[in-house]
Order: sequence, then structure tokens, then C-alpha cells
Amino acid sequence: MNLTINGVETPIESGPLTSLLDVLREELGITSPKAGCEQGGCGACTVLVDGEPRRSCLTPAASVDGAAITTVEGLGTPENLSPVQQAFTHHYAAQCGFCTSGMMMASQAYIDGGGTDDREAIQHALGGHVCRCTGYVKIIDAVAAVVRGESFDPNVTAAGTAMTNLGGMA
Amino acid sequence: MASEVLMPSSPSEAVSLFGDGAATTVIGGGTVVMPEITYGRLAPDRVLLLTNAGLDTVAVDGDTITIGATTRVDALAELGIDGLTACAGNVADGEIRSQATVGGNLCVGQGHEAPRGDLQGALLALDATVRSTGSDGERTESLETFLPHRHARLVLEVNFTRPAASAFAALEYPHTHEYTVLAVSGTRTADGTIRLAATGVAGPGARLRSAESAASDPEAAGAAAVNDVTFADDSLASAWYREQTLPVLVRRVLAQLEEST
Amino acid sequence: MKAVGARVPRYDGVAHATGRTEFVDDVRIPGTLWVKAFRSPVHSATMTNLDTSRAAAMKGVHVITWEDVPLLEYGHLSALGIPADEPLLAKDEVRYLGQPIAIVAAPSEEAAMAAVAAITADFQERPALFDVRKAFDADAPVIHQEGNWYTHFENEMDRRQIRKGNIDEAFDKADLIVQGVYRPAAIEHAPIETQVCQVVPEANGRLTIYSCTQALYFSMGVVAAHLQLPLNKLKVVGGTVGGGFGGKVDTATETMCALLAQKSGKPVKWRWTREEEFLCSSTRAPWHMEVADAVTKDGWILGRKMLTLHDSGAYSRFSPYGLTKHSFHHTGAYSIPNLEFNGYVVYTNRTPTTAMRGFGVTSVSFATETHMSRIALELGIDPFELRLKNANRIGDTSPNQIAYTDPSTVPTILAIADAVGHDLTSEYAGMTPAQRSGDLLPEHLVGQLGNPEAH
Repeated sequence: MNLTINGVETPIESGPLTSLLDVLREELGITSPKAGCEQGGCGACTVLVDGEPRRSCLTPAASVDGAAITTVEGLGTPENLSPVQQAFTHHYAAQCGFCTSGMMMASQAYIDGGGTDDREAIQHALGGHVCRCTGYVKIIDAVAAVVRGESFDPNVTAAGTAMTNLGGMA
Repeated sequence: MASEVLMPSSPSEAVSLFGDGAATTVIGGGTVVMPEITYGRLAPDRVLLLTNAGLDTVAVDGDTITIGATTRVDALAELGIDGLTACAGNVADGEIRSQATVGGNLCVGQGHEAPRGDLQGALLALDATVRSTGSDGERTESLETFLPHRHARLVLEVNFTRPAASAFAALEYPHTHEYTVLAVSGTRTADGTIRLAATGVAGPGARLRSAESAASDPEAAGAAAVNDVTFADDSLASAWYREQTLPVLVRRVLAQLEEST
Repeated sequence: MKAVGARVPRYDGVAHATGRTEFVDDVRIPGTLWVKAFRSPVHSATMTNLDTSRAAAMKGVHVITWEDVPLLEYGHLSALGIPADEPLLAKDEVRYLGQPIAIVAAPSEEAAMAAVAAITADFQERPALFDVRKAFDADAPVIHQEGNWYTHFENEMDRRQIRKGNIDEAFDKADLIVQGVYRPAAIEHAPIETQVCQVVPEANGRLTIYSCTQALYFSMGVVAAHLQLPLNKLKVVGGTVGGGFGGKVDTATETMCALLAQKSGKPVKWRWTREEEFLCSSTRAPWHMEVADAVTKDGWILGRKMLTLHDSGAYSRFSPYGLTKHSFHHTGAYSIPNLEFNGYVVYTNRTPTTAMRGFGVTSVSFATETHMSRIALELGIDPFELRLKNANRIGDTSPNQIAYTDPSTVPTILAIADAVGHDLTSEYAGMTPAQRSGDLLPEHLVGQLGNPEAH
């Protein structure tokens, strides 16, 4: 099998039913996707498969043979942060940091797909991602800011947004 | 780890490799089977992985709609059938819906602690037929007769007619990843026939025939619906709670159907 | 003072946003063995015929049981004189579902699961106890080796008690007794990073322990005690926690991984599954609290009797400490001069409970605030004014006789009233935390006053 990971074509030796998460983390040592639940319930393992956000823990390697995979490592570097990375840093959208990779990949897909800065729409797009530190307001701030094309100095932390209760989501 | 992973590259190859289905585990999107393997609850000997089987086509011919078994759950929204769109949109989250398949959702077994298979209700209300293969070869039958032996069959496609109106109502649940506590789907055909079905009750989705007979009187239909199903206690809700709320959902669905006249 | 009042960047913000933060599970050490646990399948049982021989005979598999632990019982608070009551690995009894019995290390996760599946034991199930209210019944099953509740508070008392003022006199003078029972449930911390640990045996004889602990020095002491090693043989690497919320205060994995690293001579890693995290990790305790207040018609609380049953789960761990904090706060943010508090740390066959965000205090805050509203309702008094009247003021004393020097109750309640648009009479709208005087220093509050200067 072969995967194009962050632009680099990479031969894969893992078995066909090995989860994409294990291929990335255990075979290739790409550790930004996290094993939070390994049953699709937390979102921490989310990566882009041909541009679409996917739970890598639910994805058999053979089902994505030949696909282009993007992880956080493919977004940017500390010296050259992508807009989503700048916004997450500036808006303090990462607290413990464990959900952050999955949140950013889903956010990237939302933005690439033409998502707006409507807070409820962002909440809906990230509905499968759990931030147990409950930093959702700042995460939504960050995504909305990227959609609006705002640019940031990651060395400065943004002022917070007042808590808004958007109500429950089915 | 599985000793044998088969990846058919056409529908006919999938039929042939599935054979009688004995000791074969089918993976559509992977959202149900992969955690079972990861957690060591399932160690399949023979796996049929349908990624490249060509079963993901959606054909619309006038009002007749045929969807392949590996059509993604989120693709159902494109058909523009309100009740089906709402039901599909109620499944898990966006990433899961773009990976999970219709066939997988129909064939999924009882969850560990709660009913699964949300689409069963919407497709029962659409009076869908299922073309499947298995030990006695291919056959086409109603979804209702298919569901009891779904575990032994490979779904190939699902077929139904676009309704005049359709609706869906579900109990809200606290997190997107919880399974449906209780949901009711309904359709009305061009000749005025009302069909209703529920998921979240004991076993697979079920038609609500008594409620259908009383559909002209929503109160009576709601009350009758509790005779059409059995309720179970599980980690999401008690049988008692489901029994109290089923009539409410039936009334909501009938009201939605009435509004779309 | 460059940082005060400034918006400072997070020191780990860029690392998080680039996926480069190295959590414990991200530490890559070639040749690491996977760890899995054989756990109790029942809530309460005597255990016999533990057989790990088939697992131990598997290729590359290492197994530890209670026999491998140099000091089997060491309490999380042994250093504070709270006696140990929990074996690191179950020996002949199991007291909660999921209690670890034998731990394996194997070359792959699949091999580790297969090894666990090859371990057997016989469990003679006993009646389990889940309801703290039934623990004191004469016919209740005795589920802990020391009885159904903790008996080692100061002077070997079997409860944490507080006595202040004259409780009988307060109840004699009351116009009304207002009672309530409050029972917040157990809560799982649910960090997205499950419990995880890696231990590497170093060439110099030390063990390097990569830990997700919230309490590094606690964990270091616990590991050293169980292994009977001096602290200089342990190098604990911590500080990067993928969410804890109190649930990573217990030393859940480090000791067992250290033993397996010693036994195998290889690096080992144990990452709990989400299922283990929910079933086997400690939770916030469920609490049972009964409150009876002696009140006057005009809204003074003369005295409080309170009984607390703190569900500790199967073992003590930090519960005696949590109950102590709870007892000090059992009047909440209010001054009540006459008190009779009795609190018990009760054992049940639940997973042992632990700290979570305001250990022991959130439970009593829930009880006291709900109770204040109940009193206001029964008396027909504005709930804000009832709270302000009884609010802690400078010079008032806590249940354990500490004089408050800067109590925040008054400004907090005024801020809430303002935020929700609740109108207060001028008497209360202008209130400050200053020392009590005039109408707000009735006779019954004089005796409790302390000297804030002396604190």
C-alpha cells in the first residue's frame, strides 16, 4: 500500500485492517493524531483524507490506499504557521492540547469547504469533537476569525469572547 | 488480525466472494467494525472490504430511487427527501456520516448498550425494498422482511419511490455520539397512504401499523403506536420513558406530514 | 511584573497548534512492550486459583501479580499518616469491578490482549454494597477489611466531626427547622488523553517514568514505596497532561509499568482504552448529605446539623482528606455559629473515588446553596437577601474557627444580583464585607466572632 502523507508518497507495511491512526502513529511516528477513544467518539484522531475530515481510528488502511492524507504536521511549522494554527494560538483555542489536532483538521476542512463565520454553523461542523477542557468558545472564535480572513500575531493572545449559550445540538 | 482481507473491485466480484456469507465479516465504511477489532471483541478470519466494490452508485429514475449499499449516509441528503435527510442528519457527526454506509447502517446489530441502525426507520417508512445476496443467492424483498436476517446477507442496493411528503422526529440526546433514544419516520404517498416506523425500540426498526391505521386522528395514532413495538431498558433510556414519548413523536411526524400538504 | 495585566502568549501554544507537544503516548522508544491488565470481572469476590502460567509461557510475554510487588499495600496518603488499605494488585479478594489483578507486557497490543485472555482465576462472588446509606445496617455485607467505613481520623475516631457553639440551644430557639437531603452523583473525569505511562529501564539502573500524572511527586513517592527503591533510582518525566481534572492525581499506571520494566528489562507502555478509562479509573465521589438548619422567621440561621456520607468506593485513597476539606466548608459561604457536623468515609464496591475540581467542596457547595434557596422559599424571604444577611464577613469564623480576613461572599452575590437584574433594597445593595455591626450583628453571632488581625 501507499499513502501520500503531507505531500510525500510513503509506502505502508501495516496490514490492511490496521487503522489509519495506527499506521500514522505506530508505523510512521506521526503523532499529532491522538488515540482518545479509538471508537470514533472523541474526534482527536481526525485527519484529512483527500481533503475530507475522517476519523483515522475508524478507517482501515486498505480503504484509503493511494489517498492523500493531511495531518497537522502538513499544515505548517512553528516558523511558518498556517492561518488555522495562527488563530488557534492567538485565540488560546488549545488548552491541554489533546483535542487540538483533530479540532484543527476538522476546522481546516470546514474552512476549505466554504464554511462561514456563523458560530452555530461552526459548532455544527465541529459537533463530533470533544474538548474536555470545554474551550469551545475560543475554538469557535479561532475558526470564525480565519473565515473572516483576520491575521494574527501568534505571540499575542486575543481578548476573550463573552460566553454565549448556543443551546443544545441534536 | 484477520488472516484474509478481500477487496472486490466490482459488484459481481463482491457477490461471488461473499458466497453464502459464512464466517465472513463485511466492512463498508468501517465505523462499526473497526472499534470491535481494536478493542479485541472481534477477530475476523475473513473480511470483505467493500471500498472498491462499485456499490456506491445512486440512480434516480423519475420517482424511483436506487441507492447502492456503500452509499455514504451523508449522500442521502442530496435526494431532497425531507424525512430521510433529517434521519440521516441525526446519525452521529459529520465525519461519521461521510464514512458510514447505508448498507452498514441497515445491517448493524444491536449495539452494546443501545439500539443502532437509525436509517432503518426512515427506509421502512419509505417502504424500501432491499436487493441482497447470501446462502440462497440473490433476492429482492421488503426491508421489513429483510431486517430479521440482515446479519447473514450482503446488501447490494436499496430501492424506493419518492414520497409526496416525509417527516422525521427524534428525541434529542445530549451528545452527538449517542445512539438514537427513539425516533419516528413517516411518509405520505401520492395516493394519501401514510406509513410510519420507529427506531430506538427493542430489536431493529419497526413499522407502526396500528398507528398508520389511525393516522387521520393523531391522538389515536400516537396511542395506538405503543401496541406496534416492544420497548426495552438500556443505558440511554428506560422502556417506560420510551413508551411515554413514542406517542408524542408519532403526533409530531403526523403534524409535519400535514403541514407539507 | 511584565506579565501582570498583559495578554501573554501561552508557552505551549505553538507546540499544541503544530502537533509537536509530546504527550506521554507520543514518546517513541523502539522495542517498547505493550501493557494490558487482567481485571476483576465482578464487584466483590474472594479470588482463588489465579493462574498466569499460560500467559507467561507466551513468546515475549511478561506477567506481574501481587507476588511481584515488594510492598503490596501503600496508601496514596501514607505520607500523611493515613493507613494503607489497597493492594497494588489484588491478592485474594477483589472489591470492585475492574480492579487490577495481573498485568502483562507483550511485544504487540494484540499479543498483550491474547496474554490477558489466557489468564484465569476463580471468583466466589459475594453480595456487593453500592448504597452508602445501607453500609451501617446490621445485615449489610462487610465489604472492606476494616469494616464499612474509615476509622482512622484523629484519635482513631471513625468520623470527621465538628462541634461549634451550642447546637441544642440553637435548635431550642429556632422558629423553624428546615431540612434537606442532597445527593450529587459520581462523575467521570473523562480526559481525552486516557491514563498512559511509559517506563524505560536505563543502563545506569534507574527507571525513567513518562507519566501523565497531575501529581508528579506523589506518584514518585508511591512508585518508590511499592518498589522499595530510593527516590534517586527514579526519574519521572511529567508536566504534559492531556486533561486531568483531578482524575490523574491517583497513581494509576506508573507503579505497575515500573515493575514490568524491571521484570522484562525492556521499555513498556500502558495506554488505557476509553472503556478502561470509564470503567476502571477513579471518579468524583457520590455524596450523601443531610442538612437540618435552625432558622428564625426573619432569616437568621442559628445552627446547622449535618450528616455526610462520602462514598469512597472500595478503598480510602484520598477520601479522608476530601471529607476533611468538605467538613471545613460545610456552612458554605455563610456564617452559622452553632454546628454539629458528622462525616463518614464509607466504603462501597464502586471504583475508588478521588479528587475532582474542588475536592470535597463542590458537593457541599451544591448542598448549601440549594439549602439556602430552600430556606428562603420556606420563609418567603428574597433568596439574595437571605444570603447577604448570613454572608461571611470580616471577623466571622469558619466551622474550624478560622477568622475570615477577606471573604468574597458579599461582593459575589451583589455582582450576581447585578448581572441578572435582581433589585435589592438599599440596606443590602450597599453592603460590604466589613465587620458586622448594628442589625447585622445580632446576639447569636457575637460569640462566634474572631480576630482577623490574629490570622
